[in-house]
Amino acid sequence: MVWRFIAKRVAIALLQLIGISLVVFFLIRGLDADPVARIVGLNATEEAVKQATESLGLHEHQLQQLGNYLGIFSSSGKPGIVQGTLGESWVTGSSILEEVTRFLPITLELITYALIIAFLLAMPLGMSSGTRPGGAADRFTFVWGLFAGSQPEFWWGLMFVFVFFFVFQQAGWPSAPAPLGRLNPFLTAPESITGFIMIDSLLRGRFDVWIDAGKHLMLPVFTLVFVVSGPIVKMVRQNMLRVLRSDYILYARSAGLPRQKVARYALRAALAPAMTLTAIIYGFLLGGAVPVELIYSLGGIGEYSIRSILNLDFPAIQGTVLVIAMVSLVIYLAIDILHAFLDPRIAF
Amino acid sequence: MVAETNESMVAGSSSENILEVRDLSVRFPIVEGPDVFAVRDFNLAVKPGEFVGLMGEPGCGKSTAAMSFLGLVRPPGVIETGQINFAGDDILKMDEETVRQMRGRDIGMIVQNPRYSLHPMMRVGDQIANVYRAHNDVGKREAWEHAVSMLRMVGINDPERRVKAYAHELSSGMAQRVLIAIALSSQPKLLIADEPTSGLDVTIQAQFLDQMWDSCRQASSAVVLVTQDLGIVANYCDRVVIMHEGTIVEDADVYTFFESPQHEYSRRILQLQREAQEAGDAVLGKIDRTAPPILEVKDMSKLFPIRGSESKVHAVEHADFELRPGECLGLVGESGSGKTTIGRCVLRLVEPTQGEIVFQERNIAEIRPNEFRKFRGDLQIVFQDPLDSLNPRWTVHQVLSEPLKLHTNLSPEEKEQRISELLNLVGLEPSMRFALPREMSAGRQQRASIARAIASNPDFIVLDEPTSALTPETTAEIIQLLMDLSAKLGIAYLFISHDLTTVKYICHRVVVLYLGQIVEVGTKDQVFNQPRHPYSRALLSSHLFPDTANRRVDREVRETLEGEIPSPITENLPKGCYLYGRCPSQVDKCRDLPQELTKLDDGRSVRCWRVAEGDLPDEPAAH
Amino acid sequence: MNEPTNPPGHIETPEDIDQHIEPHMVVETIPTKRRQIDLVKKFKEEKLFAFGVIIVFLSIFLAFFGPMISPYDPNFATGNVSVGPPNILDWPGLFIDTVFLGADPPHWFGTDNSGLDIFSRTISAPRTDLQIALIAALLSMAIGTTLGLLAGFFRHFLTEILMRISDLLQAFPVFITAMILVALSGRSTTNIVIALTIVYLPIFIRLTRAEVLGQMPRGYVEAARAVGNSEFKVAFKHVLPNSLVPSLIQLSTTVGFAILLTSGLSFVGAGVRPPTAEWGLMIALGAPQIILGEWWQSIFPGVAISLTIFGYAAVGHGLEEDYR
Repeated sequence: MVWRFIAKRVAIALLQLIGISLVVFFLIRGLDADPVARIVGLNATEEAVKQATESLGLHEHQLQQLGNYLGIFSSSGKPGIVQGTLGESWVTGSSILEEVTRFLPITLELITYALIIAFLLAMPLGMSSGTRPGGAADRFTFVWGLFAGSQPEFWWGLMFVFVFFFVFQQAGWPSAPAPLGRLNPFLTAPESITGFIMIDSLLRGRFDVWIDAGKHLMLPVFTLVFVVSGPIVKMVRQNMLRVLRSDYILYARSAGLPRQKVARYALRAALAPAMTLTAIIYGFLLGGAVPVELIYSLGGIGEYSIRSILNLDFPAIQGTVLVIAMVSLVIYLAIDILHAFLDPRIAF
Repeated sequence: MVAETNESMVAGSSSENILEVRDLSVRFPIVEGPDVFAVRDFNLAVKPGEFVGLMGEPGCGKSTAAMSFLGLVRPPGVIETGQINFAGDDILKMDEETVRQMRGRDIGMIVQNPRYSLHPMMRVGDQIANVYRAHNDVGKREAWEHAVSMLRMVGINDPERRVKAYAHELSSGMAQRVLIAIALSSQPKLLIADEPTSGLDVTIQAQFLDQMWDSCRQASSAVVLVTQDLGIVANYCDRVVIMHEGTIVEDADVYTFFESPQHEYSRRILQLQREAQEAGDAVLGKIDRTAPPILEVKDMSKLFPIRGSESKVHAVEHADFELRPGECLGLVGESGSGKTTIGRCVLRLVEPTQGEIVFQERNIAEIRPNEFRKFRGDLQIVFQDPLDSLNPRWTVHQVLSEPLKLHTNLSPEEKEQRISELLNLVGLEPSMRFALPREMSAGRQQRASIARAIASNPDFIVLDEPTSALTPETTAEIIQLLMDLSAKLGIAYLFISHDLTTVKYICHRVVVLYLGQIVEVGTKDQVFNQPRHPYSRALLSSHLFPDTANRRVDREVRETLEGEIPSPITENLPKGCYLYGRCPSQVDKCRDLPQELTKLDDGRSVRCWRVAEGDLPDEPAAH
Repeated sequence: MNEPTNPPGHIETPEDIDQHIEPHMVVETIPTKRRQIDLVKKFKEEKLFAFGVIIVFLSIFLAFFGPMISPYDPNFATGNVSVGPPNILDWPGLFIDTVFLGADPPHWFGTDNSGLDIFSRTISAPRTDLQIALIAALLSMAIGTTLGLLAGFFRHFLTEILMRISDLLQAFPVFITAMILVALSGRSTTNIVIALTIVYLPIFIRLTRAEVLGQMPRGYVEAARAVGNSEFKVAFKHVLPNSLVPSLIQLSTTVGFAILLTSGLSFVGAGVRPPTAEWGLMIALGAPQIILGEWWQSIFPGVAISLTIFGYAAVGHGLEEDYR
């Protein structure tokens, strides 16, 4: 049962990826934007425009362009998606796949830490407030869940910079580092293994880098935790309230199960939905952490995508959307499968 | 007997009681409002081995009281005051660990909603094993094996496979048996059963209650049986306790209770039952059997396709019956018998797969759907759940205006007048005109629903279990109303019900259905007093009539059926007689011989070749 | 009592009460004019909800009248560059001076690098932010509920296709899709509205469809057919009004998120063009000054966004509790 469910989900995810690449491809060409003018400038000669159009391949029929992009019936002889490449950037000329693999781990590292911490904070907080409804802790959790769920993370990020960097520094206290990247410019980053700087530095034995990177990640991670813990806490709390009043918990108690066993029954039922929500937020943050990346000048995939969009760099836009969609679909898939194992009702 | 006398009785006999509850009050705090006491000044004593029926209307606090005998209340409720003495010790004064050990070992619990009472994400076997391990010092393996043997004990087929199932994979009947397995495994001194058979079919209910009765008598466990069903109380309990608004208002032994109920509530709920006992055709209007039938159903079938599968759900197969003007025809059967589908097909709310539906000499099965809408004014329906069948955002006035707008040409003033008239006909106060469904009681909701059905002056109404969502008290009122309307307006009813008590009261003739087939059709007296088909016999025998004269537990032979009703899917259906495998009178020939509905000399029709050939003795019903 | 496991809690929603209190405790009420009275009572008794309602009204008021009542032109430089706000203790005095003595209004919230008055811009910004967010949210809801109703009520291959498209739309990264739509089609208000409408459409389709599917097996739907309504009437007269509640609750939340997205887009440079008075843009313009200590440029528009979104969320939550 579970295997059929997984196979079905994988098939749907693949179809969605194909759909997304097609939609993005035609969408950016259908919108009112002129990449050629952006590259050659407004006062360019007709000759220059023609040359640029041809060099970008925009003179060809859209279906032929799609063929070139996909690597099927390509007219240029260059490889496409099917051959495992995302093409070259119109602006920098380098391979998009390479650029994406350089920028993606930065974002992944940021949001992975943030969500792990948020989840670990939210579970006990939400559970304890769900077990003792009406208490002071519960009131706080409730308001927090409502408040933090929708806040301008970019503004809070700025405020944290102001307080923990500017004010602390002015006061002569130990302060957060300036929001200018992942690492002190005097340190060289270790050679990439996983792309996660905190992990790479440990693997390479560079503890100085590990500590410095930790300091630089502290505020951005905190900013995201601040915002995303809200909905998770809210969810855990509501689930816990519901579960504790459920027939099966009451029945488990009436059958004389020990307290810890009953608690485990409750935890099990409350865990699955919170996990799914965390995964959904993860998917959202892949492309939605742009403002935080910008504030702290981290240079992640979000920053890369906005640069591509503002430069009208079509292949780069297509590439980033595809990669981000792919990563989030993989995450959803993993969570769905985990959920199906935890809760057998899903697999139906 | 009223509460005060009951209290003195408790005080006098404290030593010999297994359970003694004194002055119990349970409070539910409500934000922005006064707290509510679901149970107050509650006193009850139960002797070892005694079967006590705890009855009361919904919301009287009986479930809360039953749960509190274990020292538990559903959050956010709290036990405010009182003593709950079990075998002489107050469990409210014990430390938590002691009480915990008593729960499930000395006091067993069976609840309603068995499927929701099992953890949805854990295997049934693990849950049984966990309970077993909570009270016995055994390893995981041993507990698991115990679970398998428990399932076998309560008669679940293939326990090795079922033990790995999840709650949603079990039928309610099976889930309920799992709970009884858990509850009985430790032979508790006291078993609390909270409406254990609500939602079960009568034959399954009988199996279940018989099993519970036998096991508890063997282990001499006392039982507190919370129920709304007079039939269950009459047939299984030694004593009856009536609860009203959180407290006990009557406490009597079962024979005394049914002979001379004291409290007003008890008298009201017994009234219908009494009348049903004595009901002959005298109460019912006379039917002109020579008149042309108003409705004739000929060879009607409904098969539902199953997605992604070749097989089909055989909801109705070759149904044939007819109705005369003003007649009430009962359609009885258990779940999966197709009775609801027949009602829907006749009104074309579900399109029949084949067959004719001749209504007032016209085959309405042939009319195009868009044209048929005009006919809907003549054929109406009253649904089972009144709250559910009224648009939650519409007032009674809006609800009643709609059929008038669609099927009449009344002027606005005439419409208002007609609505007042309708309210009056169904006994709704004029003040209910602008009430929303949720602001009315279930009885009033059903009256509004009936008013909607008669608004367009129909000649025929399908009553789809119109009383099964109602309390016994309201049931009596609604049945009376339906009979009055039929007499006044000459409407014919197709009365669909699983409750034989109401059918006995209101119907002229009865159709018995099993697995989509009509197995017996006859007059009410024929079917109720001398049923012929083995299924009709078992159904009537399993039905618990609220009558203490011939209690099921006193009978030597309790006629019933083996196993559960198969789901009516193509490959599940038996090749020959559909009852084969469950029938007490089956012979080998039944397995492969498809059965025909055969007319007998006395005018009734039966689908059983042995009855048709006179193989089976013609004897009165066992009940 | 020795059973400490049931702490006296509070009941949060009517649903909870229905579930746990047995019906006899709920007195049969005499029908009255219901909804309005409930809301007024709720406003009086629930502080959070009241706060939200005030915010919602204030934001809408400012969207209409903000630019009219602002002391300075929000888009016209005053010449006083990077002035900090006056000391809070001086505010009462300054207020009296301005209102009664006709003095030049002070820069309550300071000015930014180009000399624009931050107070005037902060109270004028709702015209942009609210206009975009409200129109986009309402459009999404109107289109989404209709499509959701069709998809849930009529089983047809066209509605199947509709759902697949909606699924696909939902798989897009929200923020990036919005950036593409706005940046590539021109950073105008209309384009932002269109982008937001598209981005939030799937939520409403999904919510409504799920609710419609939940309503379909209800008895009143069948009853509506049995009375003689056409399928179209059953769908729009009976099912639709009963399926709107989740969308109405979502509307409030969506307005909040739409404000967030509008300002987020301008913050990253893919939203409205400067010097439009818009909160996200103001924060972005003030951002480089933060590490120089000029906090006032970003803090006031930020507080405005934060409170506004919280207000809408509180209203959404309050309604959710009542109508769930």
